Amino acid sequence: MRTPRESRWRSFTAKLRGFVRAEPHDGEFEDEIQDHLQRLIERFVAQGMSREEAAMAARRQFGNTTLLHEDRRALQTLPTVEALWHDLRYALRALWRSPGYAIVSIATLGLGIGAATAIFSVIYNVMWAPFPYRDADRLVFVRIYDTQRGPSIGRQGYSAAEVREFVETNHVFDGTTAARGELVLYRHHTGTEAFGGVHVTPGTFEFFGLPALHGRVLQPADYEPGAPPVFVMRHKTWMERFGGDLSLLNQTLALNGTPRTLVGIMPPRFGWYGADVLIPETKVTGEVIDFRFLLGRLKPGVSIEQAAADLTVVAHRLAKVYPEQYPRQFSVHVGRLGDTVIERMRATLYTVLAAVGLLLLIACGNVANLLLARATVREKEFALRTVLGARRARIVRLLVVESLVLAISAAALGIFLAWGGLKALVAALPPRVIPSESVIELNAPVLTATLAVAVLTALLCGLAPALQSFRRDLSEPLRDSGKGTSGGFRGRRLRDAVVVMEVAVALTLLIGAGLLMRSFVALRDVRLGLQVDHVFTAAVQLPAERYVTAGQVTAFLQPLLARIKALPGVVHAAASTASPLDGGAESKIELAGKTQDRAWRASFRRLTEEYVPALRIELKEGRPLSAADVNDARKVAVVNETFVRMYLPNDHPIGQRVRLANLETAADPVRDAWFEIVGVVGDVRNRGLRAPNDPEVWIPSTIAGARLQILVVRTSQDPLTLTNLVRREVSATDAGVPVVSPGRLEDFVHQGLYAGPKFGLLLLAVFGGVGLILVTVGVYSVLAYSTTQKTHEIGIRMALGAEGADVLGMVVTSGLRVVVVGIAVGIAMSLVFGRLIGPQLVGVTAYDPPTLGGAAVLLTVTAAIASWIPARRAARVDPMVALRYE
Amino acid sequence: MDSKTSEVLQGTLDLMILKTLHALGPLHGFGIARRLEQVSRDVLQLNEGTVYTALLRLQHQGWITAEWGTSENNRKAKFYAITRRGRKQLEVETENWERISEVIGRVLRLEQEEG
Repeated sequence: MRTPRESRWRSFTAKLRGFVRAEPHDGEFEDEIQDHLQRLIERFVAQGMSREEAAMAARRQFGNTTLLHEDRRALQTLPTVEALWHDLRYALRALWRSPGYAIVSIATLGLGIGAATAIFSVIYNVMWAPFPYRDADRLVFVRIYDTQRGPSIGRQGYSAAEVREFVETNHVFDGTTAARGELVLYRHHTGTEAFGGVHVTPGTFEFFGLPALHGRVLQPADYEPGAPPVFVMRHKTWMERFGGDLSLLNQTLALNGTPRTLVGIMPPRFGWYGADVLIPETKVTGEVIDFRFLLGRLKPGVSIEQAAADLTVVAHRLAKVYPEQYPRQFSVHVGRLGDTVIERMRATLYTVLAAVGLLLLIACGNVANLLLARATVREKEFALRTVLGARRARIVRLLVVESLVLAISAAALGIFLAWGGLKALVAALPPRVIPSESVIELNAPVLTATLAVAVLTALLCGLAPALQSFRRDLSEPLRDSGKGTSGGFRGRRLRDAVVVMEVAVALTLLIGAGLLMRSFVALRDVRLGLQVDHVFTAAVQLPAERYVTAGQVTAFLQPLLARIKALPGVVHAAASTASPLDGGAESKIELAGKTQDRAWRASFRRLTEEYVPALRIELKEGRPLSAADVNDARKVAVVNETFVRMYLPNDHPIGQRVRLANLETAADPVRDAWFEIVGVVGDVRNRGLRAPNDPEVWIPSTIAGARLQILVVRTSQDPLTLTNLVRREVSATDAGVPVVSPGRLEDFVHQGLYAGPKFGLLLLAVFGGVGLILVTVGVYSVLAYSTTQKTHEIGIRMALGAEGADVLGMVVTSGLRVVVVGIAVGIAMSLVFGRLIGPQLVGVTAYDPPTLGGAAVLLTVTAAIASWIPARRAARVDPMVALRYE
Repeated sequence: MDSKTSEVLQGTLDLMILKTLHALGPLHGFGIARRLEQVSRDVLQLNEGTVYTALLRLQHQGWITAEWGTSENNRKAKFYAITRRGRKQLEVETENWERISEVIGRVLRLEQEEG
């Protein structure tokens, strides 16, 4: 017969045509009918009837013309807005009549959609479109890496000469910009503040393609040597430090001793290099080795691999000119701008996205189940409608409209939840993991995705029951008076399958949360190697024009530390060139009498004598640096255990001599940088909680000058009480020195090391909890529904002598049977899921039996409770009532 | 409003119209109605309006086309003609019809024999 799909398509296109050119057709059709009637009348008249008789006979023979017009419209037009409006009103009425069902569905879906929206907006804003810059997806950075150490670590800073070579001889970029970061001290009449500054090369603002919000961006003339010094400010800095005062524009500020005029304020999302102020780079010559971060824009169609190959050629040419700056064997890694900031976050975000996807599945499952249950109840209504002549398409449309109403309400709720959730989420985000340019918000793409998800969910949830209700013979539901024994075998199986899926998904989430929790506990157990409580830290940045040599720096540090030690409660005070849990600068090293098979490297820091006692770092051998070592700038050093293990595994370390080669070429060069090892300290974590430690060498602060000094103060009181006191003492020592990021060491450690894992744990725990609630609702609603359907059967059983306990057992068992299957599926799923979160785990495997078992038990108990309520209700059934219940 | 019965009627009417257009060439609605009347010899009680519904349906399926023209007595009329797809459909439906009527015939004979 007809091929249904083809003919359906044809009639649809015809309807569309009819819809587009609606009315003129009507007239033609009417003409045709009138012509036909006319001919019939003429014919009857010719047969001898009177005009009136003929007209009557013609109409009789022709039939109902109004009906004909209706038929034609049905064939030629799409369902009218009116009909849809009718469906909509009907759907709203139907939902209004069963508010419990509506509320549970909307709340369930809203939770799922809300969570998905919140996480998707984080992922969209942080990972997919974090940068507001022109062609942001083609912006790449260049990293030179030692092929032995792999592309994930390497050098990204280049000298001016290197930058020039890259820019002029590459074949893959159609634009470049180089940034040289510098701490900028802003001296005003009440003190000194520190800004993050960046010197940018000509064309930088054209490269990024963002205009200034107020004033102007830097122009070519600003970069000319001898041009009037100007700068541009970031929006955030302007708002936070200057209260968004527009009169600041065109004012002159003393930055690092140079009066500079503020010519522009950038829009909020401009945050290149995280810099507060952007300064034109005027000195582009000179071979000074300083750190310039190079950013290139790939020509359209050039791949990352092509760019890496081309730049490798340039780098090898440079390596011949500056051999000491390149590893013996190296290659070039080209990475997208986004990779610089989000690498740490990526695993967590994708884990969470997977979790949320699962959560949405649970929500869908619940609603599908509710709809299925309802569809079964309404089967009679639908069958009646069909028998009365409703087309199936019409009933499907009604169901789809109903689930759309549900989904749109749920989406509205979801967006509201996401809006609130995002605020909480942004507050809980670990610091510095999202690019400064990205703003986490509900924007058009995110909302579009939400709506798409909602509609898709509606169709999935709505169509399954709709199709199911047609599978049966029409007469069956009409005959069935409601005392069915199982509520339809197929419906039951489908509902059970949904619960199995829900349980599986919730179990996967719970196991994930459990694993992250165990892992987090393991992380908390990782020994840091120092005692973080009761320690105040702050950085001081010394102005470049007055502090270069070790003598100048010492002349500031010694009186300052003496003043701080005199403060109430202070036990120890010290200064170091690197933060306690950070390795600090790296240097090539040599050990007297040792040959190296490959380049030996170590982190080094310069510090004062109280550093080790202030942080309660364990001394393993020899002695720590003494006051005399520091005062006399003795060439002695303390190394960490890793250093000994790596470079002096078979020697007695004390008395060995180590050379820090990089000190000889530093800004304040040290001649003949050989140091005698006098002590060994226990390892202090310097590359986070998971990565292996770097070897470290600690030398007296008086050996070479450093402008950034980290103050470490142990106090018997709350470290925060020191903030203002230390500020005062620093200002009293030198009013031109700012105090940067003061605070408790404990807080910094928490943010830096634990906030990320804790964030992931928190999210999975919340989602696991929500999943558990949803499963409870799911199991409960399915059992409650099927027990209600079985009231008659239960009544018979009880009449025949079954006890309440038997009924209770029967219902709970039927619930738990499904749950057990779900748990089996869930364990299989989490073994797959385990691969995803495996890399985030510490001290526990993804297949940890106690976690798997614990989650399974938790879920079973919850499901048992969920089954208990309908079971108890069933057990209380009065057989007489049940048997009468029709 | 018994949908199953009307379905059968519609199908039959469609088939008859297709066959008529196939046999006689382009015709207007009135002509088709007359031809059906003549062939059925008043056995079929037909509301002639339903012919137009059938014509619309056939047009939608692309089995016939319609064109305005001038009728024998110089009146404007819409002429319907069978398309190539329509002819193919006619073959299929004819065969189908013959098969079904044969089966029905057999079933009826069977009952007669038993009775």
